[in-house]
Amino acid sequence: MKRLSLLVAVLLTIGLSSASAQIGKIPEGFTPIFNGKDLKGWHVSHSSHHGNLLNARVVGGELLIGQNPIGEGGILLTDKRYKDFELYLEVKPDWGCDGGIFLRSNEDGNAYQITLDYMPKNSMGSFITEGIPALNGTGQRRPPDWQKIWKRDEWNSMRIRMVGEVPKVEIWMNDVQIVDYQDDKNHALGGVYAGMIALQIHYTNATTPRAIPNGVHRYRNIAIKELN
Amino acid sequence: MHRHLSLLLILLLPALLLGQEAARTNSIGMEFVLVPAGSFTMGKFAPVCAPAGTQDNVTEEQYQECVKQATAATRAGFKAEVPRPFYIAKYEVTQEQYQKVMGKNPSYHTQAIVGGPSEKYPVDSVTWQDAQDFIKKLNSMEKTKAYRLPTELEWEYAAFAGTDNDTQGTKAPAVAWFMSNSKYVTHPVGSLAPNGWGIHDMLGNVWEWVQDFYDYDTVPKGPKGPSKGTEHVLKGGGFQAHAKNVRVSVHAGGPGSVISTGFRVLMEAR
Repeated sequence: MKRLSLLVAVLLTIGLSSASAQIGKIPEGFTPIFNGKDLKGWHVSHSSHHGNLLNARVVGGELLIGQNPIGEGGILLTDKRYKDFELYLEVKPDWGCDGGIFLRSNEDGNAYQITLDYMPKNSMGSFITEGIPALNGTGQRRPPDWQKIWKRDEWNSMRIRMVGEVPKVEIWMNDVQIVDYQDDKNHALGGVYAGMIALQIHYTNATTPRAIPNGVHRYRNIAIKELN
Repeated sequence: MHRHLSLLLILLLPALLLGQEAARTNSIGMEFVLVPAGSFTMGKFAPVCAPAGTQDNVTEEQYQECVKQATAATRAGFKAEVPRPFYIAKYEVTQEQYQKVMGKNPSYHTQAIVGGPSEKYPVDSVTWQDAQDFIKKLNSMEKTKAYRLPTELEWEYAAFAGTDNDTQGTKAPAVAWFMSNSKYVTHPVGSLAPNGWGIHDMLGNVWEWVQDFYDYDTVPKGPKGPSKGTEHVLKGGGFQAHAKNVRVSVHAGGPGSVISTGFRVLMEAR
Protein backbone atom coordinates (compact mmCIF):
# COMPACT_ATOMS: atom_id res chain seq x y z
CA MET A 1 0.00 0.00 0.00
CA LYS A 2 2.79 2.38 0.97
CA ARG A 3 4.66 1.41 -2.20
CA LEU A 4 1.56 2.22 -4.25
CA SER A 5 1.25 5.67 -2.64
CA LEU A 6 4.91 6.29 -3.38
CA LEU A 7 4.40 5.28 -6.99
CA VAL A 8 1.38 7.62 -7.30
CA ALA A 9 3.40 10.45 -5.75
CA VAL A 10 6.26 9.87 -8.17
CA LEU A 11 3.94 9.72 -11.18
CA LEU A 12 2.20 12.88 -10.01
CA THR A 13 5.52 14.68 -9.67
CA ILE A 14 6.56 13.61 -13.16
CA GLY A 15 3.18 14.77 -14.46
CA LEU A 16 3.47 18.12 -12.74
CA SER A 17 7.02 18.79 -13.89
CA SER A 18 6.17 18.01 -17.50
CA ALA A 19 3.17 20.36 -17.13
CA SER A 20 5.32 23.21 -15.86
CA ALA A 21 7.62 22.70 -18.82
CA GLN A 22 4.69 23.17 -21.18
CA ILE A 23 2.64 25.90 -19.53
CA GLY A 24 2.46 29.19 -21.42
CA LYS A 25 2.65 27.58 -24.84
CA ILE A 26 0.02 26.19 -27.17
CA PRO A 27 0.84 22.54 -27.92
CA GLU A 28 1.77 21.56 -31.45
CA GLY A 29 -1.11 20.81 -33.82
CA PHE A 30 -3.56 23.16 -32.08
CA THR A 31 -5.04 26.29 -33.70
CA PRO A 32 -5.61 29.36 -31.49
CA ILE A 33 -9.24 30.45 -31.12
CA PHE A 34 -8.43 33.47 -28.93
CA ASN A 35 -6.14 36.04 -30.56
CA GLY A 36 -5.01 37.77 -27.35
CA LYS A 37 -6.20 41.14 -28.66
CA ASP A 38 -9.96 41.17 -28.87
CA LEU A 39 -13.04 38.93 -28.73
CA LYS A 40 -13.09 38.11 -32.44
CA GLY A 41 -14.68 34.68 -32.86
CA TRP A 42 -16.52 34.92 -29.54
CA HIS A 43 -19.79 36.47 -28.35
CA VAL A 44 -21.63 36.98 -25.06
CA SER A 45 -24.93 35.12 -24.69
CA HIS A 46 -27.91 37.40 -24.02
CA SER A 47 -30.12 34.53 -22.90
CA SER A 48 -28.12 32.67 -20.25
CA HIS A 49 -29.67 32.37 -16.80
CA HIS A 50 -26.28 33.19 -15.32
CA GLY A 51 -26.68 36.65 -16.80
CA ASN A 52 -27.18 38.34 -20.16
CA LEU A 53 -24.27 40.78 -20.14
CA LEU A 54 -21.11 39.00 -19.01
CA ASN A 55 -18.16 41.35 -18.57
CA ALA A 56 -15.70 39.82 -21.05
CA ARG A 57 -12.59 41.81 -21.95
CA VAL A 58 -8.98 41.37 -23.05
CA VAL A 59 -6.30 42.79 -20.76
CA GLY A 60 -2.60 42.31 -21.44
CA GLY A 61 -3.23 39.40 -23.79
CA GLU A 62 -5.47 37.63 -21.28
CA LEU A 63 -9.19 37.02 -21.57
CA LEU A 64 -10.96 38.10 -18.38
CA ILE A 65 -14.56 37.26 -17.55
CA GLY A 66 -16.51 38.58 -14.58
CA GLN A 67 -19.93 39.66 -13.40
CA ASN A 68 -21.80 42.61 -14.92
CA PRO A 69 -23.49 44.09 -12.93
CA ILE A 70 -22.83 42.43 -9.60
CA GLY A 71 -24.96 39.32 -9.22
CA GLU A 72 -25.13 38.65 -12.96
CA GLY A 73 -22.55 36.35 -14.55
CA GLY A 74 -23.00 34.82 -17.97
CA ILE A 75 -21.31 32.88 -20.73
CA LEU A 76 -18.91 33.77 -23.55
CA LEU A 77 -19.50 31.51 -26.55
CA THR A 78 -17.43 30.66 -29.60
CA ASP A 79 -19.18 31.77 -32.79
CA LYS A 80 -18.26 28.41 -34.31
CA ARG A 81 -19.75 25.03 -33.42
CA TYR A 82 -17.57 21.95 -32.96
CA LYS A 83 -18.23 18.22 -33.10
CA ASP A 84 -15.13 16.20 -32.18
CA PHE A 85 -12.14 18.10 -30.86
CA GLU A 86 -9.31 18.55 -28.46
CA LEU A 87 -9.40 21.86 -26.62
CA TYR A 88 -6.36 23.30 -24.87
CA LEU A 89 -6.44 26.34 -22.63
CA GLU A 90 -4.77 27.88 -19.62
CA VAL A 91 -6.82 29.29 -16.79
CA LYS A 92 -6.15 31.32 -13.64
CA PRO A 93 -9.31 31.97 -11.62
CA ASP A 94 -9.72 34.18 -8.58
CA TRP A 95 -10.42 32.12 -5.46
CA GLY A 96 -14.11 32.34 -4.55
CA CYS A 97 -15.42 32.43 -8.13
CA ASP A 98 -17.45 29.66 -9.74
CA GLY A 99 -17.06 29.26 -13.47
CA GLY A 100 -16.75 26.52 -16.01
CA ILE A 101 -16.11 25.39 -19.54
CA PHE A 102 -19.25 24.45 -21.49
CA LEU A 103 -19.07 22.00 -24.37
CA ARG A 104 -21.56 21.40 -27.19
CA SER A 105 -23.49 24.35 -25.82
CA ASN A 106 -26.48 26.15 -27.31
CA GLU A 107 -26.97 29.90 -27.12
CA ASP A 108 -28.63 29.72 -23.68
CA GLY A 109 -25.86 27.57 -22.18
CA ASN A 110 -27.58 24.18 -22.09
CA ALA A 111 -24.43 22.09 -22.35
CA TYR A 112 -21.95 19.53 -21.11
CA GLN A 113 -19.77 21.24 -18.52
CA ILE A 114 -16.37 21.03 -16.89
CA THR A 115 -16.50 22.62 -13.46
CA LEU A 116 -14.15 25.39 -12.45
CA ASP A 117 -15.95 25.94 -9.17
CA TYR A 118 -13.00 27.60 -7.47
CA MET A 119 -14.40 28.10 -3.99
CA PRO A 120 -14.63 26.27 -0.66
CA LYS A 121 -16.10 22.73 -0.72
CA ASN A 122 -16.37 22.68 -4.52
CA SER A 123 -14.66 20.93 -7.40
CA MET A 124 -12.42 21.67 -10.33
CA GLY A 125 -12.39 19.58 -13.47
CA SER A 126 -15.52 17.51 -12.85
CA PHE A 127 -17.45 16.59 -15.97
CA ILE A 128 -21.15 17.31 -15.39
CA THR A 129 -24.15 18.85 -17.20
CA GLU A 130 -25.68 22.32 -17.22
CA GLY A 131 -29.36 22.52 -18.09
CA ILE A 132 -29.45 19.12 -19.79
CA PRO A 133 -30.30 15.72 -18.24
CA ALA A 134 -27.84 14.29 -15.68
CA LEU A 135 -25.11 11.93 -16.85
CA ASN A 136 -25.30 8.18 -16.45
CA GLY A 137 -22.38 6.82 -18.45
CA THR A 138 -19.31 4.92 -17.32
CA GLY A 139 -15.86 5.85 -16.09
CA GLN A 140 -14.27 8.52 -13.96
CA ARG A 141 -15.75 12.01 -14.24
CA ARG A 142 -15.22 13.54 -10.78
CA PRO A 143 -11.50 13.81 -9.99
CA PRO A 144 -11.03 13.18 -6.27
CA ASP A 145 -7.49 14.62 -6.08
CA TRP A 146 -7.72 17.82 -8.10
CA GLN A 147 -6.29 19.84 -5.18
CA LYS A 148 -3.02 17.94 -5.54
CA ILE A 149 -2.76 18.81 -9.23
CA TRP A 150 -4.10 22.38 -9.27
CA LYS A 151 -1.71 25.26 -8.62
CA ARG A 152 -3.41 28.04 -6.68
CA ASP A 153 -2.93 31.59 -7.98
CA GLU A 154 -0.95 30.30 -10.95
CA TRP A 155 -1.75 29.41 -14.54
CA ASN A 156 -3.05 25.88 -14.98
CA SER A 157 -3.50 24.00 -18.23
CA MET A 158 -6.60 22.06 -19.20
CA ARG A 159 -6.79 19.74 -22.18
CA ILE A 160 -10.14 18.29 -23.11
CA ARG A 161 -10.76 15.61 -25.71
CA MET A 162 -14.39 15.07 -26.75
CA VAL A 163 -15.10 12.51 -29.45
CA GLY A 164 -18.27 10.91 -30.81
CA GLU A 165 -21.93 11.84 -31.09
CA VAL A 166 -22.33 9.83 -27.90
CA PRO A 167 -19.22 11.38 -26.50
CA LYS A 168 -16.15 9.92 -24.91
CA VAL A 169 -14.55 12.63 -22.82
CA GLU A 170 -11.01 12.77 -21.48
CA ILE A 171 -9.65 15.68 -19.48
CA TRP A 172 -6.09 16.46 -18.41
CA MET A 173 -5.34 19.07 -15.73
CA ASN A 174 -1.69 20.18 -15.83
CA ASP A 175 -1.06 17.07 -17.98
CA VAL A 176 -2.49 14.68 -15.40
CA GLN A 177 -5.53 12.82 -16.66
CA ILE A 178 -8.45 13.51 -14.32
CA VAL A 179 -11.48 12.41 -16.39
CA ASP A 180 -11.98 9.35 -18.57
CA TYR A 181 -15.69 9.04 -19.23
CA GLN A 182 -17.87 7.35 -21.84
CA ASP A 183 -21.41 8.75 -22.06
CA ASP A 184 -24.32 6.35 -22.59
CA LYS A 185 -26.22 8.67 -24.95
CA ASN A 186 -25.97 12.11 -26.48
CA HIS A 187 -27.16 14.42 -23.68
CA ALA A 188 -26.79 17.68 -25.64
CA LEU A 189 -30.07 19.60 -25.90
CA GLY A 190 -31.99 18.64 -29.00
CA GLY A 191 -29.53 15.82 -29.64
CA VAL A 192 -27.12 18.14 -31.43
CA TYR A 193 -23.66 16.83 -32.27
CA ALA A 194 -22.00 20.17 -33.05
CA GLY A 195 -22.14 22.83 -30.34
CA MET A 196 -20.37 25.92 -29.11
CA ILE A 197 -17.63 26.13 -26.49
CA ALA A 198 -18.42 28.57 -23.70
CA LEU A 199 -16.61 30.08 -20.71
CA GLN A 200 -18.87 30.72 -17.73
CA ILE A 201 -19.13 32.93 -14.66
CA HIS A 202 -21.88 31.95 -12.21
CA TYR A 203 -24.65 34.26 -11.01
CA THR A 204 -24.90 35.18 -7.33
CA ASN A 205 -27.73 36.11 -5.00
CA ALA A 206 -28.61 36.08 -1.28
CA THR A 207 -28.22 32.31 -0.98
CA THR A 208 -25.82 31.58 -3.86
CA PRO A 209 -22.49 33.27 -3.10
CA ARG A 210 -20.60 31.83 -6.06
CA ALA A 211 -18.42 34.82 -6.93
CA ILE A 212 -16.60 37.59 -5.08
CA PRO A 213 -16.97 41.28 -5.99
CA ASN A 214 -14.70 42.15 -8.96
CA GLY A 215 -13.57 38.50 -9.14
CA VAL A 216 -12.63 37.11 -12.55
CA HIS A 217 -11.55 33.98 -14.35
CA ARG A 218 -8.54 34.60 -16.62
CA TYR A 219 -7.84 32.58 -19.77
CA ARG A 220 -5.00 32.51 -22.29
CA ASN A 221 -3.63 30.21 -25.00
CA ILE A 222 -7.07 28.90 -25.94
CA ALA A 223 -6.64 26.58 -28.90
CA ILE A 224 -8.40 23.73 -30.64
CA LYS A 225 -7.61 20.68 -32.72
CA GLU A 226 -10.66 19.59 -34.69
CA LEU A 227 -10.89 15.85 -35.12
CA ASN A 228 -13.46 15.51 -37.89
CA MET B 1 -68.60 68.45 -10.22
CA HIS B 2 -66.19 65.54 -9.72
CA ARG B 3 -69.00 63.37 -8.39
CA HIS B 4 -71.05 64.11 -11.52
CA LEU B 5 -68.14 63.24 -13.74
CA SER B 6 -67.58 59.91 -11.95
CA LEU B 7 -71.26 59.08 -12.23
CA LEU B 8 -71.18 59.87 -15.92
CA LEU B 9 -68.18 57.61 -16.42
CA ILE B 10 -69.82 54.74 -14.55
CA LEU B 11 -72.93 55.11 -16.70
CA LEU B 12 -70.87 55.23 -19.88
CA LEU B 13 -68.54 52.35 -19.01
CA PRO B 14 -70.62 49.52 -20.53
CA ALA B 15 -70.95 51.54 -23.72
CA LEU B 16 -67.21 52.22 -23.79
CA LEU B 17 -66.51 48.53 -23.48
CA LEU B 18 -69.12 47.63 -26.07
CA GLY B 19 -67.53 45.94 -29.04
CA GLN B 20 -64.64 44.72 -26.93
CA GLU B 21 -65.65 41.26 -25.89
CA ALA B 22 -63.62 39.65 -23.12
CA ALA B 23 -62.47 36.90 -25.48
CA ARG B 24 -62.25 36.51 -29.25
CA THR B 25 -61.29 33.75 -31.66
CA ASN B 26 -59.94 34.46 -35.16
CA SER B 27 -60.30 32.65 -38.48
CA ILE B 28 -57.54 30.14 -37.76
CA GLY B 29 -58.80 29.35 -34.27
CA MET B 30 -56.41 31.59 -32.30
CA GLU B 31 -58.03 32.57 -29.02
CA PHE B 32 -57.51 36.05 -27.59
CA VAL B 33 -58.02 37.54 -24.14
CA LEU B 34 -58.86 41.23 -23.60
CA VAL B 35 -56.20 42.97 -21.54
CA PRO B 36 -57.47 46.15 -19.84
CA ALA B 37 -55.74 49.52 -20.00
CA GLY B 38 -53.66 50.35 -16.94
CA SER B 39 -50.15 50.85 -15.69
CA PHE B 40 -47.41 49.01 -13.82
CA THR B 41 -43.80 49.41 -12.74
CA MET B 42 -41.25 48.14 -15.25
CA GLY B 43 -37.45 48.02 -15.27
CA LYS B 44 -36.85 47.18 -11.63
CA PHE B 45 -33.53 45.54 -10.76
CA ALA B 46 -32.14 44.84 -7.30
CA PRO B 47 -29.19 42.47 -6.82
CA VAL B 48 -29.06 40.91 -3.35
CA CYS B 49 -25.82 39.94 -1.60
CA ALA B 50 -25.16 36.84 0.47
CA PRO B 51 -24.21 37.80 4.04
CA ALA B 52 -20.68 37.23 5.36
CA GLY B 53 -20.01 33.57 6.14
CA THR B 54 -22.49 32.13 3.62
CA GLN B 55 -21.12 28.79 2.39
CA ASP B 56 -17.70 29.84 3.75
CA ASN B 57 -17.29 32.01 0.66
CA VAL B 58 -18.05 35.56 1.83
CA THR B 59 -15.90 37.71 4.09
CA GLU B 60 -17.34 40.76 5.83
CA GLU B 61 -15.26 42.98 3.55
CA GLN B 62 -16.58 41.21 0.42
CA TYR B 63 -20.15 41.52 1.70
CA GLN B 64 -19.74 45.26 2.25
CA GLU B 65 -18.26 45.68 -1.24
CA CYS B 66 -21.09 43.61 -2.72
CA VAL B 67 -23.70 45.77 -0.98
CA LYS B 68 -21.99 48.91 -2.26
CA GLN B 69 -22.00 47.63 -5.86
CA ALA B 70 -25.53 46.21 -5.55
CA THR B 71 -26.83 49.56 -4.31
CA ALA B 72 -25.19 51.32 -7.26
CA ALA B 73 -26.67 48.79 -9.72
CA THR B 74 -30.19 48.88 -8.26
CA ARG B 75 -32.87 50.45 -10.41
CA ALA B 76 -36.23 51.60 -9.09
CA GLY B 77 -37.88 51.13 -12.47
CA PHE B 78 -40.38 53.44 -14.12
CA LYS B 79 -44.13 53.73 -14.60
CA ALA B 80 -45.20 51.90 -17.75
CA GLU B 81 -48.59 52.78 -19.16
CA VAL B 82 -50.99 50.86 -21.33
CA PRO B 83 -53.35 53.60 -22.56
CA ARG B 84 -55.77 51.34 -24.46
CA PRO B 85 -56.97 47.77 -23.96
CA PHE B 86 -55.60 45.14 -26.35
CA TYR B 87 -56.15 41.49 -27.10
CA ILE B 88 -53.33 39.06 -26.50
CA ALA B 89 -53.28 35.44 -27.64
CA LYS B 90 -54.29 33.14 -24.83
CA TYR B 91 -51.62 30.68 -26.02
CA GLU B 92 -48.29 30.70 -27.80
CA VAL B 93 -48.65 30.23 -31.58
CA THR B 94 -49.08 26.50 -32.15
CA GLN B 95 -47.49 24.34 -34.82
CA GLU B 96 -50.96 23.82 -36.30
CA GLN B 97 -51.57 27.58 -36.58
CA TYR B 98 -48.13 28.20 -38.04
CA GLN B 99 -48.71 25.45 -40.60
CA LYS B 100 -52.10 26.94 -41.56
CA VAL B 101 -50.65 30.37 -42.18
CA MET B 102 -47.17 29.62 -43.51
CA GLY B 103 -47.70 26.20 -45.06
CA LYS B 104 -44.75 24.74 -43.16
CA ASN B 105 -43.67 23.78 -39.67
CA PRO B 106 -40.06 24.52 -38.70
CA SER B 107 -40.39 22.98 -35.21
CA TYR B 108 -37.98 20.53 -33.63
CA HIS B 109 -40.68 19.20 -31.29
CA THR B 110 -42.64 17.16 -33.82
CA GLN B 111 -44.14 13.68 -33.36
CA ALA B 112 -40.72 12.00 -33.53
CA ILE B 113 -39.62 13.92 -30.46
CA VAL B 114 -42.79 14.29 -28.36
CA GLY B 115 -44.17 10.83 -29.13
CA GLY B 116 -47.60 11.89 -30.35
CA PRO B 117 -49.39 14.50 -32.45
CA SER B 118 -47.64 17.86 -32.04
CA GLU B 119 -50.25 20.23 -33.52
CA LYS B 120 -51.07 21.81 -30.17
CA TYR B 121 -47.43 22.27 -29.20
CA PRO B 122 -45.95 25.74 -29.59
CA VAL B 123 -44.13 26.35 -32.84
CA ASP B 124 -40.40 26.51 -32.15
CA SER B 125 -37.23 27.23 -34.13
CA VAL B 126 -38.59 30.54 -35.39
CA THR B 127 -36.57 33.73 -35.73
CA TRP B 128 -37.96 37.20 -35.05
CA GLN B 129 -38.25 37.66 -38.81
CA ASP B 130 -40.21 34.39 -39.11
CA ALA B 131 -42.65 35.79 -36.54
CA GLN B 132 -42.97 39.01 -38.57
CA ASP B 133 -43.62 37.04 -41.77
CA PHE B 134 -46.32 35.01 -40.00
CA ILE B 135 -48.01 38.18 -38.75
CA LYS B 136 -47.84 39.85 -42.15
CA LYS B 137 -49.52 36.85 -43.75
CA LEU B 138 -52.13 36.56 -41.00
CA ASN B 139 -53.03 40.26 -41.43
CA SER B 140 -53.29 39.71 -45.16
CA MET B 141 -55.47 36.59 -44.77
CA GLU B 142 -57.91 38.48 -42.55
CA LYS B 143 -57.62 41.79 -44.44
CA THR B 144 -56.63 43.66 -41.31
CA LYS B 145 -53.65 45.42 -39.72
CA ALA B 146 -54.62 44.46 -36.19
CA TYR B 147 -52.05 41.70 -35.61
CA ARG B 148 -48.51 42.37 -34.44
CA LEU B 149 -46.01 41.18 -31.85
CA PRO B 150 -46.52 42.67 -28.38
CA THR B 151 -43.97 45.23 -27.27
CA GLU B 152 -41.90 44.21 -24.26
CA LEU B 153 -44.02 46.58 -22.17
CA GLU B 154 -47.29 45.01 -23.33
CA TRP B 155 -45.86 41.52 -22.87
CA GLU B 156 -44.79 42.21 -19.26
CA TYR B 157 -48.08 43.92 -18.48
CA ALA B 158 -50.04 40.87 -19.72
CA ALA B 159 -47.66 38.49 -17.91
CA PHE B 160 -47.84 40.32 -14.57
CA ALA B 161 -51.66 40.25 -14.94
CA GLY B 162 -52.18 43.01 -12.41
CA THR B 163 -49.72 41.59 -9.87
CA ASP B 164 -46.13 42.57 -9.13
CA ASN B 165 -45.11 38.93 -8.81
CA ASP B 166 -42.07 38.26 -11.00
CA THR B 167 -42.33 34.46 -10.81
CA GLN B 168 -46.14 34.41 -10.86
CA GLY B 169 -46.17 32.54 -7.57
CA THR B 170 -44.08 30.10 -5.65
CA LYS B 171 -45.94 27.36 -7.49
CA ALA B 172 -44.04 28.18 -10.67
CA PRO B 173 -44.21 24.56 -11.89
CA ALA B 174 -47.98 24.90 -11.99
CA VAL B 175 -47.87 27.78 -14.48
CA ALA B 176 -44.65 27.22 -16.42
CA TRP B 177 -42.85 24.41 -18.23
CA PHE B 178 -39.16 24.91 -17.48
CA MET B 179 -36.02 22.94 -16.63
CA SER B 180 -37.39 21.44 -13.43
CA ASN B 181 -40.61 19.94 -14.80
CA SER B 182 -40.48 19.84 -18.61
CA LYS B 183 -38.31 16.73 -19.08
CA TYR B 184 -36.45 18.91 -21.59
CA VAL B 185 -39.21 19.10 -24.20
CA THR B 186 -42.05 21.55 -24.92
CA HIS B 187 -45.64 20.70 -23.96
CA PRO B 188 -49.07 21.35 -25.52
CA VAL B 189 -50.05 24.99 -25.04
CA GLY B 190 -52.44 25.65 -22.18
CA SER B 191 -51.74 22.40 -20.35
CA LEU B 192 -50.81 24.29 -17.17
CA ALA B 193 -52.82 26.86 -15.20
CA PRO B 194 -53.25 30.36 -16.72
CA ASN B 195 -52.20 33.58 -15.02
CA GLY B 196 -54.72 35.85 -13.28
CA TRP B 197 -55.98 37.23 -16.61
CA GLY B 198 -56.50 33.81 -18.18
CA ILE B 199 -53.34 33.79 -20.31
CA HIS B 200 -51.30 30.56 -20.51
CA ASP B 201 -47.57 29.84 -20.75
CA MET B 202 -46.36 33.44 -20.51
CA LEU B 203 -43.53 31.88 -18.53
CA GLY B 204 -41.77 28.78 -19.85
CA ASN B 205 -42.50 26.37 -22.73
CA VAL B 206 -40.88 28.57 -25.41
CA TRP B 207 -39.10 31.92 -25.22
CA GLU B 208 -41.29 34.54 -26.89
CA TRP B 209 -40.09 37.19 -29.31
CA VAL B 210 -41.40 40.70 -28.69
CA GLN B 211 -41.29 43.68 -31.04
CA ASP B 212 -38.47 45.65 -29.37
CA PHE B 213 -34.85 45.76 -30.39
CA TYR B 214 -32.50 44.51 -27.65
CA ASP B 215 -30.61 47.31 -25.89
CA TYR B 216 -27.81 45.27 -24.24
CA ASP B 217 -28.90 46.35 -20.78
CA THR B 218 -29.86 44.47 -17.61
CA VAL B 219 -33.45 45.73 -17.69
CA PRO B 220 -35.22 48.18 -20.01
CA LYS B 221 -34.26 51.84 -19.50
CA GLY B 222 -37.67 53.19 -20.49
CA PRO B 223 -41.07 52.24 -21.88
CA LYS B 224 -39.79 52.05 -25.47
CA GLY B 225 -36.94 49.93 -26.77
CA PRO B 226 -34.20 51.47 -28.94
CA SER B 227 -35.15 52.70 -32.42
CA LYS B 228 -32.56 50.48 -34.08
CA GLY B 229 -30.48 47.44 -33.27
CA THR B 230 -29.45 44.02 -34.44
CA GLU B 231 -31.07 41.59 -32.00
CA HIS B 232 -34.55 41.56 -30.48
CA VAL B 233 -35.82 40.98 -26.97
CA LEU B 234 -36.82 37.50 -25.76
CA LYS B 235 -39.20 37.01 -22.83
CA GLY B 236 -40.43 34.31 -20.48
CA GLY B 237 -37.83 31.54 -20.76
CA GLY B 238 -38.22 28.19 -22.45
CA PHE B 239 -38.77 24.56 -21.49
CA GLN B 240 -35.03 24.21 -20.85
CA ALA B 241 -34.63 27.45 -18.91
CA HIS B 242 -33.38 27.63 -15.35
CA ALA B 243 -35.89 29.14 -12.87
CA LYS B 244 -33.81 32.33 -12.80
CA ASN B 245 -34.84 33.01 -16.40
CA VAL B 246 -38.48 32.06 -15.82
CA ARG B 247 -39.44 35.48 -14.48
CA VAL B 248 -41.57 38.20 -16.04
CA SER B 249 -38.88 40.90 -15.78
CA VAL B 250 -36.05 38.92 -17.40
CA HIS B 251 -34.79 41.03 -20.29
CA ALA B 252 -33.02 38.62 -22.63
CA GLY B 253 -31.89 39.12 -26.20
CA GLY B 254 -31.60 37.07 -29.34
CA PRO B 255 -30.60 34.97 -31.12
CA GLY B 256 -31.60 32.56 -28.32
CA SER B 257 -31.53 28.80 -28.31
CA VAL B 258 -33.24 27.82 -31.58
CA ILE B 259 -35.42 24.91 -30.46
CA SER B 260 -36.84 26.80 -27.49
CA THR B 261 -37.86 29.98 -29.28
CA GLY B 262 -41.41 30.84 -30.39
CA PHE B 263 -43.84 33.75 -30.12
CA ARG B 264 -47.33 34.97 -29.29
CA VAL B 265 -49.52 37.41 -31.21
CA LEU B 266 -51.20 40.64 -30.11
CA MET B 267 -54.42 41.85 -31.75
CA GLU B 268 -55.23 45.52 -31.40
CA ALA B 269 -58.67 46.24 -29.95
CA ARG B 270 -60.59 48.51 -32.32
